[in-house]
Amino acid sequence: MLRSTATTWGVVTRLFHWGMLLLFAGILSVGYYMTDLPLGPQKLKVYALHKSVGLTLLALAALRLLWRLGERRPLPAPMPAWQAWAASAAHVALYALMFLVPLTGWLFNSAAGFPLQWFHLFNLPALHASDPALKSIAKELHETGAMLLIVLGLAHGAAALKHHFLDRDGTLASMLPVVGGRR
Amino acid sequence: MNRHWPRAFGVLVLAAATGTAGAAPTYTVVPAQSSLSFIGTQQGEKFTGVIRDFDARIAFGTADLAGSRLEVAMRLKSIDSKSPDRDQAIATTDWFDVAKYPVATFRTLAIRATPTGAVGDAELTIKGHTQRLAFPFAWKAAADGGATLDARVTLDRLDFGLGTGEWADESMVGRKVEVVVHLTLAPAAPPPAAPGKPPVAKPAHP
Repeated sequence: MLRSTATTWGVVTRLFHWGMLLLFAGILSVGYYMTDLPLGPQKLKVYALHKSVGLTLLALAALRLLWRLGERRPLPAPMPAWQAWAASAAHVALYALMFLVPLTGWLFNSAAGFPLQWFHLFNLPALHASDPALKSIAKELHETGAMLLIVLGLAHGAAALKHHFLDRDGTLASMLPVVGGRR
Repeated sequence: MNRHWPRAFGVLVLAAATGTAGAAPTYTVVPAQSSLSFIGTQQGEKFTGVIRDFDARIAFGTADLAGSRLEVAMRLKSIDSKSPDRDQAIATTDWFDVAKYPVATFRTLAIRATPTGAVGDAELTIKGHTQRLAFPFAWKAAADGGATLDARVTLDRLDFGLGTGEWADESMVGRKVEVVVHLTLAPAAPPPAAPGKPPVAKPAHP
């Protein structure tokens, strides 16, 4: 059951979903923690890790989007139109932020004139030349995007719990890491 | 060859004594066409830092290597590495400690001719650490009486106490730093006549 069916999400989609959730939870925690570190090699190492994971998430987002475009989706559980609309809007926004937050981070790093290396293995080019004005804009976008991602992610999780415990439908179960169909 | 030696020696002695003809000519730097920079490595990527504010005293002539010298004073507050964050870090005590050691100096103790060009036996002082180094440089005389001086030397930053302790780890910042010197030089104006010497002949006033 690698692929999704009419009733449940496939294994690949579930791996993307929960794997990226874990990475995002980690990178966001590190992101909030690292800015207050005293300047030193330790700080640079934590930043380097943050950037490496961020680039990984950007690549995963691209793969996930490609995969999703070629997949069918399980039929949604019956729900009021406004909820269906809100769910769709949140999904589109979450996908957009999965790209925008790493990309603005990359731009922020470029405008700050810093190197960008993926786990000590290879370097990536700057998206823009060093530029203090652009740096502050990119920083603002990166931080606002991260905050939006947290808020929307929590709303998304809360909605899944509502489906499970209040509506008692199979929406959450269809995405759980343990493969199971909708009840 | 040998029979010309006494005469050549005599000319040198004369030149040294009078301090005029044959002495190493002096030059001033043309700042707009000169640069003093270094190439470092941070997290696998090279970056260039430019030292914008420096003074140089240059006297060089192949006919008077003994009287030739290169002296440079660099004000390290002026380092621009195309990243304000990095420039800020560079100024801290872990690196150049610019507040305590604002100026780095370079001077040749001797300059010798080699088959591949001139080489200075030089002393470089950064952050209170003085190191001897060989300083090979290419000197090209220009048609206007000026010259260009080009040199590249590779230094080990730890020799100068730059980024010691936790920073010594090379995975963040490489140890080898290449210094690139490009100076465009204009002939210096002749020094004012010393007192007691007859003044330079002036055109008669009508």
